Amino acid sequence: MSTEQKHSLHPGEWQDSAPGDEPEDSPGHWIRSYLIGLGFATALTIASFWIAAAHPIWGPALPVALIVLAIAQMGVHLVFFLHVTTGPDNTNNVLALAFGVLVVGLVVLGSIWIMDHLSQNMTAYQMPPM
Amino acid sequence: MFGKLNWSAIPIDQPIPLITSLVIIFAVLGVLAWTGIKGWWPYFWREWITSVDHKRIGIMYCLLGVLMLVRGFADAIMMRTQQAMAVNAPGYLPPEHFDQVFSAHGTIMIFFAAMPLVIGFMNFVMPLQLGVRDVAFPTLNSVSFWLTASGALLVNVSLFIGEFARTGWLPYPPLSEAAYSPGVGVDYYLWAVQISGIGTMMTGINFVTTVLKLRCTGMSYMRMPMFVWTTLASSMIIVAVFPILTATLAMLTLDRYFGFHFFTSTAGGNPMMFMNLIWAWGHPEVYILVLPAFGIFSEIFSTFSGKPLFGYRSMVAATLFICVVSMMTWLHHFFTMGAGAAVNTAFGISTSIIAVGTGVKIYNWIFTMYGGRVRFDTPMLWSLGFIFTFVIGGMTGVLLAVPPADFLVHNSMFLIAHFHNVIVGGVVFALFAGLEYWFPKAFGFRLHEGWGKAAFWFALIGFWVTFAPLYWVGMLGMTRRLQHIDFEAWRPYMDVALVGVGILIVGALCQVIQLVVSILQRDRLRDVTGDPWDGRSLEWATPSPAPFFNFAVTPNVEGEEAYWGIKQRAIEAQTLGPEPDYQPIEMPVNSGVGFFNAFFATVTGFALIWHIWWMAALGLLGAFIAFVVLAWRDVHEYEVPADIVARIDRARRASRAAVLEQLEREGAPS
Amino acid sequence: MSVVDFPASREAIRRRREDPDRAGQGGHGPSEPVAGTGHGASGPASKRIIVGYGFWIFLLSDIVMFSCFFATFAVLRNATAGGPTIREIIDIPRVEWETACLLLSSFTCGLSFAATNARNLLWTQVFLIVTGLLGLAFVLLELQEFVDLANRGIVPQRSGFLTAFFSLVGTHGLHVTVGGLWLATMLAQVQVKGFRREIVHRLICFNLFWHALDIVWVGIFTIVYLLGSIA
Repeated sequence: MSTEQKHSLHPGEWQDSAPGDEPEDSPGHWIRSYLIGLGFATALTIASFWIAAAHPIWGPALPVALIVLAIAQMGVHLVFFLHVTTGPDNTNNVLALAFGVLVVGLVVLGSIWIMDHLSQNMTAYQMPPM
Repeated sequence: MFGKLNWSAIPIDQPIPLITSLVIIFAVLGVLAWTGIKGWWPYFWREWITSVDHKRIGIMYCLLGVLMLVRGFADAIMMRTQQAMAVNAPGYLPPEHFDQVFSAHGTIMIFFAAMPLVIGFMNFVMPLQLGVRDVAFPTLNSVSFWLTASGALLVNVSLFIGEFARTGWLPYPPLSEAAYSPGVGVDYYLWAVQISGIGTMMTGINFVTTVLKLRCTGMSYMRMPMFVWTTLASSMIIVAVFPILTATLAMLTLDRYFGFHFFTSTAGGNPMMFMNLIWAWGHPEVYILVLPAFGIFSEIFSTFSGKPLFGYRSMVAATLFICVVSMMTWLHHFFTMGAGAAVNTAFGISTSIIAVGTGVKIYNWIFTMYGGRVRFDTPMLWSLGFIFTFVIGGMTGVLLAVPPADFLVHNSMFLIAHFHNVIVGGVVFALFAGLEYWFPKAFGFRLHEGWGKAAFWFALIGFWVTFAPLYWVGMLGMTRRLQHIDFEAWRPYMDVALVGVGILIVGALCQVIQLVVSILQRDRLRDVTGDPWDGRSLEWATPSPAPFFNFAVTPNVEGEEAYWGIKQRAIEAQTLGPEPDYQPIEMPVNSGVGFFNAFFATVTGFALIWHIWWMAALGLLGAFIAFVVLAWRDVHEYEVPADIVARIDRARRASRAAVLEQLEREGAPS
Repeated sequence: MSVVDFPASREAIRRRREDPDRAGQGGHGPSEPVAGTGHGASGPASKRIIVGYGFWIFLLSDIVMFSCFFATFAVLRNATAGGPTIREIIDIPRVEWETACLLLSSFTCGLSFAATNARNLLWTQVFLIVTGLLGLAFVLLELQEFVDLANRGIVPQRSGFLTAFFSLVGTHGLHVTVGGLWLATMLAQVQVKGFRREIVHRLICFNLFWHALDIVWVGIFTIVYLLGSIA
C-alpha cells in the first residue's frame, strides 16, 4: 500500500530510522555496539548493587546515587542496544521518547506530590491496629 | 457451572429495562433477519465487517457512535423527567435504577458515543487529507473498531442480563470495591471499558504513526491541514494517557476479583489514589475529544469563509500547547479532596493557562471569517453556534479553575452545566457540523439543507433551555445525581430543563428526518463533482464517494491548502492537468481477525463478569487462535490492475472537466 | 518540523567535518529544500520504518502504564497495615541473579537481531533460544520468589504495600512471560517462513520489546529492591 512508492533516495537525501534499527550496513558495527553496551551496563549494575550493600557514601546521598545509576543504565540501553541517537534520522524517535518521559514524570512525580499532600489539613492520624 | 449467572439476572420485575431490552433485541433480530432474507450478509461480510478500509471503518465507528448517542440521550431524558417529577415526590425511578441510569448515561456518552464518533471522523478524513491510501496499520484499525463495538455490546447486555454500575461514569472506590458493590454492575463497566480501551489505544498508535510517517510527497508538517494536526495531537494524548486508564481499571479489577488493596478503605489501601490516577486520564480524555472538534471547525471556518485559515502557525502552536498542558491540570477535578493550598494553586493556574490555547483558536476562527465571503450553510451554522456556546462554557470552566470558587460548586449542577456546555457545544456541535460537511464525501449525496438548519436551531435553543437553569440551580446549591429533590424552590428550574429536553428531542427528530429525506431525494442532492463546498484540502480532490484506493496517483503537494492550489491552477488554465501514468496499486486484503477477536473478547468479558472461568479461558484461547491465524497468513496485499484504476479515475476527470467547461461557459472565476 | 542540527551523533559530526556545506551527502531532504517544508516531505516512509515506529510508540505507552504501577508503589510504600515491610520481603542475591539473566538476555537478543540483519538463520535461532532460556530463568526465579513469600504468608491481599509490590513486579514478570511466548512463536515463524519481510519486521518489534523490558527492570530493581534495602 505504501510500498508501491519504492522511493529510492536521491544523493543527499536520507530516511528516518526506526528505533532499534539502522540502515542495514554492517552487523559488525552492531556487535561492537552491543558489546560496549553490555560492558557499561554490567559495570553500572554492579556499582548499583555494591553501593546499596556497602554504603560507601553519606547515607542520604544513597538514593540519589542509585537513581542516577539507574538513569545511566537506561541511557546505555537506549544508546547502545536501541541505537536511539540524536542524529536527524532519529528525531521522531527522540521526540516520542521525550514525550513519554514527560508523561511518566508527570504521572509519577505528580502523583507522589498530590498524594503526599492529601493529609495536609488532617491532624495526626493513627491507623487502627489490624 | 455458570458462575454467578442464573435466571434471576433477567429483570422480569423491572418494566423499563425489560421492555427496552425486548425492543432492542427484536429490532436487532429484525435487522439481521431482513438483511439475511435479502441476501445481504455476504455483502456486509465482504465489504464492511472484514473491511480494513479506513473509510468503511470510519463510517462504522460513526454508526456505532450515533446508536449509542441515542441510547445515552434516552438515559438523559429519563434523568430530566425523574428530576422534574421527584420534587418532594418519589418520581418513577427508584434510587438503585436512577443510579444505574446516570452511570450508564455518562459511560455511554463518553466511551461509546463521543469517542467512536470522534475516532470515526479522524479515521475517515485524515488519510484523505494526507493524500495517502490508508492508515499505517489497516488491519489493526479494524481490530480497534471491533473491540470498541465489543465494549458497547457488553454495556448494552447489562440492560438485559444483570445490572449496570451505580457508581457514576468513573467508579470511585470504596463504593466500587467488592465490599460495597458486590453485584456485577461495576464488573460490566470495568470489562466493557477495558476492552474498548485497548481498541482506542491501538487507534492512537495507528494515527500517530500515520501522521508522522505516512504523508504524500510534499506534505511537510507545515502543509498539513488543521484537522490532521488536531488528529495528531489527540492521538498523542491517547497514546500518553490511555495506559493510565488501563492500569487504574486493572487495579480496581484486581481489588474486586482477588482482594487486593489498591483502593480499599482498609489494610492500607488508598481510595484517593484512584481519583488521582483516573483523573490523570480523565482530563486529557476530554481534550482527546475536543481537539479533533476544533480541527473540524478549522476546516469549516476556512471553507465557508472562502479564505485560508487565519494564523495557521499559531493554530498549530496552540494545538500542541493544549496537547501538552492538558496533562498538567487533572487535580482540578478534586480540588476539594484535601491536597492543600500549594497543590490546588498550582493546578488552578495550569487550568487557567490552558484556556489561552483555546482563546487563540477562537480568535483565529473569528479572524478567518473577517474579510471573507461567509456562506451560512448548515455546517457554518453549527460552527457559529459552537463559538457562542463553547466560549460561555469555557468561561465557566475558568471560574471552576479557581479553587475557592470550586469549593462552592464542586459536584453541583453548575459543574454538570459546565461540562455539558463544553462537550455538547464543543464536541457534539462539531460532530453534527462534520457530519453535514463530510457526508457527501462518504455517501455521494448531500444532506437536505432545510431539515439540517431546523435540527441546528432546535439543538441550539434546546441546549440552552436545558442547561442554563442547571447553572442557576447549581449556584443555589443543588448537587448532582439527585434521585429526589427536597426543595420546592428548585422545581421551576427542573421544569424549564425538561422543556429544553423536549426541544432537543424535536431537534433529534429533525436530524433523523433529514437523513430519511436526504436518502429519498438522493438523486436531487447528488454530489457529482466530489467538491460540493468548494473545499481547500485534498479529500475534495476525490470523487464522492471516494474510491477504495482514495487517489489513483498519490498527490505531490506544493503548498499549504494542497487542493486549493491545484484547483486554482486548473481554473486559470481552464484545463485539468495531464492524465497521469496509471500504475497498478497494492491494497491491503480484508481480514476477519478484528471481528473474531472482538467476538472472543465479548465472550471473555461476559464470562469474567459472571465468574464463569471455563468460558473465560475458552474466550481467551479463541482470541489467541484468531490472532495466530492472522499472523500466519501469507498474503497481505493484493494488486489492483492499472486499467481498473484508470477507468475509475477517468470518470473522476470527466466530471471535473465538465465543471471546468461549465465555469468557462459562465465566464466567471470560481 | 524544521531542520534542527544535533551535533552529538558521530555520523552527523563526520558529515559536518567532511561536507560543511552539505553539498553532497548528508543533506536534510531534497537538494533544494523549499523554505519551511522540513524533512518528511518525500512521501510515505517504508513499511519497516512504519512498523518499527508504531511499535516504539506502543512501547512508550506500555512504559506509561508501568509508571502508574511505580507511582502506586511509591504512594503505598508505607501502607503496610501492620504487616511486613519492604526490608522483610526482599532477597537481594536472588535479584542479582535475575538482573544478570535479564541483562545477558538483552545482549543475546541484540546479537540475534544482528544475525537476522546478516540473514543468518542458524545464529538468529541460536541467540533467540539463549535469550528465551535466560528469560525463562528470570521468570522461574521470580516465581520462586513469589512462592517463597506466599509460603511465609506474605501475599498481596495482606496490605496495600504488598498489593503494590506484587503488582509492580508481577506485571513486569507477566510481560516477560508474554515475551517468551512471543519469542517461541517467532522461532516457529522464522523456521517455517524464513526471513520474509514481515517476519523481519516482527523481529524488530520483538527486539525493541525485549530491550524495553530490561529498561523497566532497571527501574524495578533500583526502586523496589535496592532503595528498599537501604530504607
